[in-house]
Amino acid sequence: MEILTPSPEVRLTVAQCFRTLTTSTDPKDLVPALQTLNSYLDEGPGNKTTSSQRAEFRRAHFTRSLQFLVSNIQADWVHSLTATQRSELWDGLFLKGPPEQALLVLMDGIGEQSASAGLDHLVSITEKFLQRCRLADLLWYYCQQTSPSDSPQLRETLLGRIVCLPDLTANKLHLNNKPLFLPQQYYPLLAAEMFTALEKTCQALKDGTDCSLTFVAQTLGKVCVQGHSGLVLAVMAPRLSACSRSDMVWQRVSWKLFENVPQRWVESVLTGLVQAVNGPEALGRIIGNLVLTNKKAQFVITHKMLLLQYKYETRVLRIILGYLAADKDRRPLLIQVLRSVSQAWANPSAVKHTPLEQQLYVSKALLLSVSLLNDSELQELRSDLIHCMLDGMQSHLDSSVVRIRHMGMVVGECLSSRLDIGGAALKFEYDQDEETRELLSLMTPGTGDEPEDEPVNVVDSPQETTETTPHADSEASKVDPDSDLDSDDELTPYDMSADQELSKASPPRYLRDCLETLTSSDDPVRVELSLRAAEGLVRKNAFAAKEISVQLTKVFLHLEDKYNLSGFLSLRQSTMVALTVIDTIPVTQYLTTEFYSLNYSLRQRLDILEVLSLAAQELSKPITETKDQLISVSNSSSADLNPYPGDNPVHWRQEVERRIQSKTRRLTKGATKPPAKATPNHYAPVAGHFFFPLLRNFDKPQVTFDLLGTDHLVLGRLIQTLGLLMHLAVNAPIAAQMGRALLDFVWAVRYHVDQTVRRGVLFAVCSVFLSVNSQNLLVDLSDQLFETRTWLADVAEGDPDADCRSLAVQSLVLMDQSLKKQLQDPQALSLES
Amino acid sequence: MSSPAPTPVYTLRGAGGPLNTLHFSCHDADTPLLYSGSGKGLIHVWNLNTRRAKKIVKGHSGNSIIWVSTLQSTDALISQGRDMLVCLWDLSEGRSEMVDSVWTGSVGFCQCSMLEMSPGNHLLAFPGEQTEEIKIIQLPSKTPVCTLVPDAKVGMVMCMKLWQPDSGLGPLLVAGYEDGSLLLWDVTQRSVLSQAKAHPEPVMCLTFDLKRLRGISGSSEKNLSSWVLDGQNNLQLQDNVTLVNPGISQLCIRGDGKLLASAGWDHRVRVFGWKRLKPLAVLQYHTDMVQSVAFSDHQDPRQRLLAAGSKDQRISLWSIYNEGAETG
Repeated sequence: MEILTPSPEVRLTVAQCFRTLTTSTDPKDLVPALQTLNSYLDEGPGNKTTSSQRAEFRRAHFTRSLQFLVSNIQADWVHSLTATQRSELWDGLFLKGPPEQALLVLMDGIGEQSASAGLDHLVSITEKFLQRCRLADLLWYYCQQTSPSDSPQLRETLLGRIVCLPDLTANKLHLNNKPLFLPQQYYPLLAAEMFTALEKTCQALKDGTDCSLTFVAQTLGKVCVQGHSGLVLAVMAPRLSACSRSDMVWQRVSWKLFENVPQRWVESVLTGLVQAVNGPEALGRIIGNLVLTNKKAQFVITHKMLLLQYKYETRVLRIILGYLAADKDRRPLLIQVLRSVSQAWANPSAVKHTPLEQQLYVSKALLLSVSLLNDSELQELRSDLIHCMLDGMQSHLDSSVVRIRHMGMVVGECLSSRLDIGGAALKFEYDQDEETRELLSLMTPGTGDEPEDEPVNVVDSPQETTETTPHADSEASKVDPDSDLDSDDELTPYDMSADQELSKASPPRYLRDCLETLTSSDDPVRVELSLRAAEGLVRKNAFAAKEISVQLTKVFLHLEDKYNLSGFLSLRQSTMVALTVIDTIPVTQYLTTEFYSLNYSLRQRLDILEVLSLAAQELSKPITETKDQLISVSNSSSADLNPYPGDNPVHWRQEVERRIQSKTRRLTKGATKPPAKATPNHYAPVAGHFFFPLLRNFDKPQVTFDLLGTDHLVLGRLIQTLGLLMHLAVNAPIAAQMGRALLDFVWAVRYHVDQTVRRGVLFAVCSVFLSVNSQNLLVDLSDQLFETRTWLADVAEGDPDADCRSLAVQSLVLMDQSLKKQLQDPQALSLES
Repeated sequence: MSSPAPTPVYTLRGAGGPLNTLHFSCHDADTPLLYSGSGKGLIHVWNLNTRRAKKIVKGHSGNSIIWVSTLQSTDALISQGRDMLVCLWDLSEGRSEMVDSVWTGSVGFCQCSMLEMSPGNHLLAFPGEQTEEIKIIQLPSKTPVCTLVPDAKVGMVMCMKLWQPDSGLGPLLVAGYEDGSLLLWDVTQRSVLSQAKAHPEPVMCLTFDLKRLRGISGSSEKNLSSWVLDGQNNLQLQDNVTLVNPGISQLCIRGDGKLLASAGWDHRVRVFGWKRLKPLAVLQYHTDMVQSVAFSDHQDPRQRLLAAGSKDQRISLWSIYNEGAETG
């Protein structure tokens, strides 16, 4: 064991060289000294040094020599060397010696040097170091050591240098950074080097040598935890997948690699990996049964990625669940996952309090895992699933959000068809959209074959395609040569849409006839004619309409669609709107009273709100418009009536957005548009009649109507309507009072569980800030403003619903703007004091 | 896309009664005329340039006029009224006197059909005293040619059309009957050549295209039924057109054989391409049943008009699918 005994001879020679290099300036002395140092690294046959001397140099003197060189990088003698001598003798020392030591010295040197020719030199050496695959040598060097020979601290430092090289260089070099050091180039390079090291390991294992993958695994872990998993695994995953396809040694190496990743980095490696692989089988080949052996991995795969996070694409879900289902050892985990996912899906609190995107994600996971079950497992889980289905569907269908209801329906349909409950599968009616279609498609197993990793060298067959095209062309051109020239085609038809069935009865000419027919007639034709004529008659003869307005409103409110007439809802609504507009005060009085009275269906109550808001909108149009225009406007708004108000908040949202747009100051756009000019309208004088009666009885529950209890759909609409009424009352003298009342009212329900209610509340608050002028805001509402602000900030940060959050932010912005404007205005301040 | 529904070029009012029948006479380019027969026994002669009634003929002692036509060679007017008379009028030089009359004995609404055999020599087919009987006489001699009575029970004769085929046979007559069947008669042989059941309801009107040997009939239901004569003079039913509203009072094919117009009980005139019966337009103007429709026989195709007479006492005139006029 003579190698272990420190050889004074080597030390002496090295010291001698150092001395020469420090003192002499003559190249004749310098070159031999450097050559001596280099000779310890050369393995060539013509070398005078013994292997023990070389090992000694590598172990004890190499780092020192490099450090000496780096510290003398500015010395005169360095510059006196010719370029070839420099690159051969000087640079060669860095590139030929043990790579880990060289890298450490280089990185230290780069860190310490300030911008100079020396720094540039070091950078170029580092570049060469990377280009010559020294990193692979470094990693391979550590693979060969089955037991660590150096201190953990050193390894830790080295790891840090390898992983953070782009950061270190970027910090030092700023804009002069080399492209090779940029993360986009460096990390793929590092990944390729790791792969080379693994390749060598495989070869070594086949030759019967033991290897250790600890260091490579640590590197991988550290890279991933620093957020570069995408770049690294994009290179590694396909290669690993391809190599492990047929080679058992490769599989073992790959499994070992991921087993050796330290616990604290497992999560980031796995999340990166499942996104990078292209199929469940590939994942199975790469990580093996890691989920069974590694607790952390199990937690990440079976719990965290399914139930806690929801950012991944459906493809990732497919891969995770497919991976769990692919092996019989892992199938118990699939069942466990299914249990927890189904619980999460059925949890009524989750339906209310988690973001919609997460619910969608969980639904997808549930459907995917159910589709992966085989029949015996299905039998085993049957009762659980039925339980989950019934509970979950109830809570989903209770929701006021359409997408959640649809989700519940689709999942219910799929589960029931899969469970095959007595041959009766559930069937719901819903509009197919992209989301429901995607959910439905999850029940059909994926396309199976994962795409091949290595693009098989396809001999492109453009010849074939080009050959086929002319055929097709010629056939296409031959189509229908004998078309009849002498036909009716030269005569283009006129518009014939007016050609409708002729009705036998004639429409009523007087409003009282309408009323009569609607109350007493059983003839569908006459009822329809009256219904169609009613709005026109109301608007044509306002005087006659006023005489029976309330009576007619009552009839219309209670009118049922007995004959399934087309456009019934919109006709009924537009007539009621017309009545409200023509004879505002009595009709609003009637409607607002009826809103809180007994024996109305939710539908009717929603209708009342809808009519009030449409009428208010119509009244708030500027007076200057002629009456004809008014009618046409109201017609167009009622034509596209939504049968489910509240499902489509776009209408009022657009309105608010527009207002916010006009009020928000945009620095980039130059001067802002002034806010809409105040014009007289019919609404301002009667706004109170619309608004205050609706606030009166909300907290008195009736037998059939409990606004603060289960009827939160109506509550949401009520608040929205109030917000709209408030919004339309901009510039009205009564706006400040209304704003105060509205803020008081919504205060009680600001943390309501239903997001439609919360949205309504936020909309109402927005409209208060938009409509009440800033002076009144500060003077009248100052006591409430502070609390409102805190609450809004809270919502903006923590609400599970994205719409609520953005509305809250908008409200905050509006409020701040309004206050700022007021406080900057000295006149207002004096007024206040 | 499709242009908006057309509107009338102009309308003629003041007929003073529901309009049962229309007849154009536009050979004379200077004074194109439109004859109309009203339900109050008046025949209006409208000048289409001034758009005024040039002359009003009172006849048939106030009974409803159901058919008017002109004898082309002699410029004489012939009219059929509910007073069971067919009258021949001389309107030349401002006169309006009845020259001759034929007693038909028919109490139905079936319109006559006239065929010009040679200049000054016409055949007139009219419904006879028996409801199912058709009589044919020669004009102006008034010599009876024949009487056509079907053997089978087909009910009252509702409408008919008399023509001279190119094949050299004697004149042919197709008639629609109350039970919805069509009979093709050979006038010289006095025999039925062919029979077809075109409608489940009475045949209200029919028209026949001599060039294509193809005809079409309408009924009180929603379907128009078209049929052809094959080489053996057999009536063969062809395609049906279903309308939106039931009831057709009259059908008319334009002289060039391109358009077919139907007068509907639903106040509308429908226009079809005659070749394939493709619906082309729905003319809405009238407020009551349209009872008559006619295409004008202008020399210049661009001046051609479509006239529709309705129970609402108005005549509407339309200009559609005239070359040149279309581009406007």
